[in-house]
Amino acid sequence: MEELILELKQEIIAVLNLEEVAPTDIADDAPLFGEGLGLDSIDALELIVLMEKNYGIKLKDPAQGREIFKSIRVMAEYIYANRTK
Amino acid sequence: MSTRSDVYILAARQISVQPPLTDAWMDAPVRYDAPYVQAIDPDYRQHFAPNEARRLGKILKRAMLTSRQVMAATGIANPDAIITGTGLGCIENTEIFLNALVREGEELLTPTHFMQSTHNTIGSLIAIDAGCRGYNATYAHKGTSFECALADAVVQLESRRIQTALVGAHDEMTPGYFTLLKRTGYLGHAVNGFAGEVALSMMLASARGENALCRLRGVEMEYCPYDGEALRQALNRLLQRAQCSLDEVDAVMTGVSGRQANDQVYASVCSRLFPNKKLLRYKHLFGEAYTAPGLGLYAAAVCLGRQHIPAHLLAEHAGGEQRSAGNILFYNQMEGKNHSFILLSPCGK
Repeated sequence: MEELILELKQEIIAVLNLEEVAPTDIADDAPLFGEGLGLDSIDALELIVLMEKNYGIKLKDPAQGREIFKSIRVMAEYIYANRTK
Repeated sequence: MSTRSDVYILAARQISVQPPLTDAWMDAPVRYDAPYVQAIDPDYRQHFAPNEARRLGKILKRAMLTSRQVMAATGIANPDAIITGTGLGCIENTEIFLNALVREGEELLTPTHFMQSTHNTIGSLIAIDAGCRGYNATYAHKGTSFECALADAVVQLESRRIQTALVGAHDEMTPGYFTLLKRTGYLGHAVNGFAGEVALSMMLASARGENALCRLRGVEMEYCPYDGEALRQALNRLLQRAQCSLDEVDAVMTGVSGRQANDQVYASVCSRLFPNKKLLRYKHLFGEAYTAPGLGLYAAAVCLGRQHIPAHLLAEHAGGEQRSAGNILFYNQMEGKNHSFILLSPCGK
C-alpha cells in the first residue's frame, strides 16, 4: 500500500503539473480538494482519466469521485481493491 | 479636418528568441546559427503563483505575462478591446491532445489539453485574467494573422468606437511542427533563416499619453495583387490616408529572412515601389513565425521611441546606425500572396 501511495503521488504531481510540490509535501490523509492540495473540478476530471488509464478503473457514477478522491490514502485503497491493471 | 482619431502605440513587451521582456536586443542582440530556436522564457515562478500557472502551456504563460506587463506599463488595466493574432494557436496542446486521441483510440482524453487547444484560448485567457468583458477577437490567417488583428484595432480606434486596445501576436513552434516545415523545405535549412517563437503584446490607444513609442498612421492589406500596379495603389491609399508622401518615408522594414523564394518577392517589390529607401530587417534576430511581423512592428516602434536605428537592423549595404528615426514603413508579405503595409511615425509627427 505504501508503495502504491507513493506511486499515486508521483502520478498526480505529473498529471496535474504540480511543479512546486514533492511527494513528501502531500500528506496521505490530507484532503485533495478545497484545502490541502487545493484541487478543483478540472483536476477531478484529470484524476478520473488517470484512474482509468493507469489502473483500468472506470468510474460510472461521477458522484463516486467525491468519496474516492477524499485523500491519497482513500484513493489508493480504492485502486488497490478495484484495479484491473 | 479629419474626423478620424489618431492611433498610438503606447508600449510593447515581447518574449521571443531575444532576451525576454526587455529591449536589450537593440544594444546586444543574441545571434543564432541554428535552424530552430525556441523562445527564451523568463522565470515564470517570479511572475505567477504556482497554482495560477500550473495548467498553462508555454504560449499562454507568455501571452499572459507580456499582456500584464504592458497593462502595468501603460496603466490601462481594462482595455476596451483585446485582439489577438496567431497563426497556430496553442499548437503544443493541440499536438498533445491529438496524439493522445490517436494513442488511446479516441478515449481517455485529458481535459486540460483539450480545453486549451483552440486558437482563441489565448485572448480569452488574457481577458479572464484582467477581468476585461469588452470586445475580444482572434485572427488566425497564417502570415497575416497579426496584421488582421492590428487592422481591426486601428479601424475601431480611428472610428472612435474604442479608445484602447491590447493587440497581441502569439505563436509557439513545437519540434513536431518544425519537423513538418523541414520536410516541406519551408524552413530548417541553413540558408532559409531560422524558426523562432513569438509572444508580443502591445497597447494601442487614441490618446498619446506621456511615453508613447510612436504613432500608427494606418494599415493597408492586399491579397494576391494581380500586378505590381495593384500593390502600388494599395501603398498609395495608405499614404494618402496618412497625408504622407513616399518622400517622407525614411526607411522600410521588411520581413526578409534568408528564405530565397520569399526574399525574391521582397526584392522585386522593394526595387519597384521604394528603390532608394533604406531597408531594415528583423527576422535575422527574431526568426520566422506566422506572427513574426508583430515583432517586426515592435522593433520599428522601439526604434522610433528611442530615435535610434541600430546598425544591426539595417539590411546589407544600407549604411551605419542612425541616431534619429523618421517615418518607417513596415512591409510584410508571404509567398507573394498576402501583402501588408503599416506606416509608423515618431510621436511628434
